[in-house]
Amino acid sequence: MPRAPAAPAARPRRRPAPPREAPLGRRARSKERTRERIVTAALALFQSKGFEETTTRAIARRARVAEGTVFNYFETKEDIALHFLELEVSHAIASVRNNRRLRRASLEEKLFALLQSQIDFLAPYEKFIGAAFVQALKPASKLGWSRQAAELRTRYLSFVQELIEESLPRGKPSALAWFGPPAFWIYYLGVLLYWLHDSSPGKQNTLAFIDRSLKLGVALLRKGVV
Amino acid sequence: MKKPEGAARRALRMAALTAGVTGSYVGYLAQRAFLGPEARQKKLKASHTRAAQRMTSEFLTLRGPAMKLGQTLSLQAGLLPEEMLSELATLQMSAPGMHASLARARFKAALGRDPDQVFKSFEPDPFAAASLGQVHRAVTREGARVAVKIQYPGIHDAVANDFRWFRTVSKGAQLTRHLPGVVLDELEAQILAETDYAREADNLEHFRKGLAPLPFVTVPKVYRRFGGQGVLTMEMLEGVHLDAWLAAKPSQKLRDTLGARLVDLYYFQLLDLQALHADPHWGNYLFGKDASIGLVDFGCVKYLDPKFVATLLSLYLYPGDRTSPHFQELLAERYALNGRTLSPASRKALARFAENFYRTVYPPELSKDDEPFDFSDDAFLKTYMRESANLGRSKVAIPEYVMIARAETGLYATLHRLKARVPMSKIVRKYLKSPR
Repeated sequence: MPRAPAAPAARPRRRPAPPREAPLGRRARSKERTRERIVTAALALFQSKGFEETTTRAIARRARVAEGTVFNYFETKEDIALHFLELEVSHAIASVRNNRRLRRASLEEKLFALLQSQIDFLAPYEKFIGAAFVQALKPASKLGWSRQAAELRTRYLSFVQELIEESLPRGKPSALAWFGPPAFWIYYLGVLLYWLHDSSPGKQNTLAFIDRSLKLGVALLRKGVV
Repeated sequence: MKKPEGAARRALRMAALTAGVTGSYVGYLAQRAFLGPEARQKKLKASHTRAAQRMTSEFLTLRGPAMKLGQTLSLQAGLLPEEMLSELATLQMSAPGMHASLARARFKAALGRDPDQVFKSFEPDPFAAASLGQVHRAVTREGARVAVKIQYPGIHDAVANDFRWFRTVSKGAQLTRHLPGVVLDELEAQILAETDYAREADNLEHFRKGLAPLPFVTVPKVYRRFGGQGVLTMEMLEGVHLDAWLAAKPSQKLRDTLGARLVDLYYFQLLDLQALHADPHWGNYLFGKDASIGLVDFGCVKYLDPKFVATLLSLYLYPGDRTSPHFQELLAERYALNGRTLSPASRKALARFAENFYRTVYPPELSKDDEPFDFSDDAFLKTYMRESANLGRSKVAIPEYVMIARAETGLYATLHRLKARVPMSKIVRKYLKSPR
């Protein structure tokens, strides 16, 4: 597993504004729409038929494109899954960044909001997420061990690190800054597993689990107990 | 406090370690059942403050709360060994608060949409703490002001787990009847019922309709379309809590009026409606300047068996000697309803309670009906607590009585705070089918 990003030496004063995206041309927009169609079709099939059982031909048929077109965009099914996870991470980061109310919230609440928006995003594809989880554990899996997967993890954990550092007094070394992101990654996988197995109404036990474990975990790391 | 050694302590330590992360609210709720309203008010405030605090208190929250159940029951019965009591007293209790993101997530899980999409406005910070969650102000799209009660997630499972665990560790006390199984069953049923907001909505509607004959009482309207698993939306009531009501220095006459209305409300529910709002926590009452009463929080409601109510009617304002065979026969009849016989010790304790407390507060003679009982002197409260403890020691156990005692204790404590003078017998007599 790739290492989590190390803590930077100084805490940035304010989060840099996300770079403004240039407007897409007509051709690029059309390509983007096709990509979206392929991803939507694939997700629906992953969810209904299962990840293993879904073929690229079935994806192409559902997306109403030629099978070769699918390969123009994604080399494998795992690349489609990775793209979906990229969307999930972008959505979660944006939902925390764009929530003004959260700026003054505690670290526990910010991390809760991050996880909650991820789960909200994943919820319609629960069956697929279960399969993707298992897939990611396979040694040759792109979902778990590829360069793209590592980059995605780094992007996610860098944001977690940003949130952690915002909550710390400046210039004071803390176990939270050093161990927080890698610990959070393992914790996140645990939360996903808990969520997948949670049969309580509205998956409310997952909410309670995240709330209580974040309070405890952050407190432990703040105190430097771990 | 010096910690006692011994088997009880070791057992409790073991139990505390196994309480686990789901360790929850049973202790707090059970404690609420028996604490006086004032102590509970303080306890609730303290618990919510603690909930916002650091890791140390969180640790205690995780392992401690279920122990409070044992402590509560032992205090009620006055019977668990002293060493166990003092050990239990060292454990902490807390009910966690929810930050705005969690409250929103809970709301969304219940209704499928964010509160902002459902309401015209929704306040992210709660204005009141409820034992199982918190209450937020909101305004509907039609402009109605409502209170949205949101429950902490996973409560039902946590309470059930705690009871399973507590039944295991309290086997000994159950076998010796120091902790009667029926009392535990009743407590579990009531506490689990409190976690069910759909049932609470039913209760609210039942009481709103049932209490309509009492013009001084208001029960909020339920907005079912804004409710779901762990979310209950109801009309916002006017009025203030007891502390604020008393701070306005109401006249003796107004305090007497409010006292008489509270007593009237209690006996109307018990003997006429045969269902009791059994949570006398002051936060659940809102008082108006004209001594009107708003009732909120119908999680803890006891629906009574009409046969049980009939036995109460025969016992209330009993005119003769309460140590007489006839009175004792009536007491035994009440117990027979639950398929039990009354032990001589229990019979004696009940007769003593009736004589020392009830005859004084509720004189049966018709000629004394216009003589109000003065609740300002706390001697009556001490007698009540002493006789309750004496009753506990006699190992008497009527499941219905757990909730009645909870409501009755709250009523007397409120009347004492009001320093009200209330013609108790006159009010009770209204509800007796055959006036004595």
